[in-house]
Amino acid sequence: MMQATPENGGYMIAAYVIAAVVLVTYAVSLYWRTRKL
Amino acid sequence: MPLRDELRHAWVVARKDLLVEYRSRTAIVSAVAFVILVLLVFNFSRDPTAVSSIDLAPSVLWVTLAFAATLALNRAFQLELENQALDGLLLAPVGRGAIYLGKLVANLLFVGLIELLGVPLLALFFNVPILPYAGPLAGIIALATVGFVSVGTLFSAMTVRTRVAELLLAVLLMPFMVPPLWWAALATSRLLGGRPLSEITGWLKMLAAYDIVFVFLALLLFPATVNE
Amino acid sequence: MRMLRVGRWITAIGLLLLAGVYIRALVFTPVERLQGLAQKIFYVHVPAAIWAESAMIFVGLASVFYLFLKDPRLDRFAEASAEVGSVFAAIVLTTGPIWGKPIWGTWWTWDARLTLTLFLFLLYVGYQLLRGAIAEPGARARFAAVLGICGMVLVPFIHFSVYMFRTLHPMPIVLKPSTPSLPGSMLVTWLLSVGVFTLLYVGFVTQRYALSYLREQVEVIGDVGRGTGDR
Repeated sequence: MMQATPENGGYMIAAYVIAAVVLVTYAVSLYWRTRKL
Repeated sequence: MPLRDELRHAWVVARKDLLVEYRSRTAIVSAVAFVILVLLVFNFSRDPTAVSSIDLAPSVLWVTLAFAATLALNRAFQLELENQALDGLLLAPVGRGAIYLGKLVANLLFVGLIELLGVPLLALFFNVPILPYAGPLAGIIALATVGFVSVGTLFSAMTVRTRVAELLLAVLLMPFMVPPLWWAALATSRLLGGRPLSEITGWLKMLAAYDIVFVFLALLLFPATVNE
Repeated sequence: MRMLRVGRWITAIGLLLLAGVYIRALVFTPVERLQGLAQKIFYVHVPAAIWAESAMIFVGLASVFYLFLKDPRLDRFAEASAEVGSVFAAIVLTTGPIWGKPIWGTWWTWDARLTLTLFLFLLYVGYQLLRGAIAEPGARARFAAVLGICGMVLVPFIHFSVYMFRTLHPMPIVLKPSTPSLPGSMLVTWLLSVGVFTLLYVGFVTQRYALSYLREQVEVIGDVGRGTGDR
């Protein structure tokens, strides 16, 4: 019997956002730290 | 330096540590008191009708031993902190490997003593029969102990002069304690559950492999922790 | 400093391409029927995990070579790889539970990848704490190398432990988040993502390496200015 595809897009968005935030934040931190702040 | 001399020197180093410890006896008393406290906490925090002691005992045993070993390791190089004794030790015509082995043996004997006192206490408080399994249990305990004490002795040489030495040692050591601890807990639970010995040999082999690899690695790396 | 500029450029391109992979994964890659949209977390989670582990291997290798060659460049590289590795590990440890909750019903599962990455994260944290606790640069590099090598050697034992754990505690087979063979379009997205994460690793490590180098230079100048240096 075919199961319906679950509605879990919210989790996907959350994960993608968190990953992007972590990566961008780290990139920014590197930029700041190398500008001798 | 010939192997026989190295081993003799290692024993001299070990004996020195054990003698210093024997004269004050504070560390062993504190460690055993700690073990009793942990056992009490575990005992009073469980519901005897829900959890049988045979199920809980292996975990309790290994958590207790892990904590006790970490405490014991903190004192490993502390002896040398005072009066620049470490420099004195390093200036002596003793190979670095011998120093490590000596420290390792002293730590193993010290932790072994804690275990010798702690395991019967566990059996007593938790009403777990261990005598029928004494041999294999001793084997599991010995192998697991070598596993974490070998890495712990190496790390304590690095952490001893830092400001938060005890805490740092525990944090560094933790990932290295988990595999032997976990295999030992599994083997212990199989053993106390009355499973045949053949089921346990796999875990014993893994513990032995871990020991061989890390003792060898620690011997190789120890000079880097004390040389300039 | 040229290395810093190069690192910044690589990182910038990497982040741009990341946006591209995001769009491709979110919009143009088919939805997996059984798991739904949440499966797409896979395209971020797995490449991050690959680099979280690879970074540790690089830390270990650089540490081995450092103890033999005593070249400070190797120490700087190890330091950089450890920091970048911990960032990727953090991504794995946050996206993992977010993926696990809709698929397996619980936030945390002791699954192979998550457990290994947790260990790696703890190793990275320990490595950085140790470095922070030793002031003298020579001792710091040597001790960090010792820890780095031990960490690298521990990894296979962790793999084994996790494998044994899974054998003893089988995961619910209802939905398998990591399908062994991906159909065409999904495979391409995944490969592109691995490529982007590789680029980000290189860009980040290059910049972090440059940072170490610049900090050392500042210290030397500071010593000279105070008259404690020997220049």
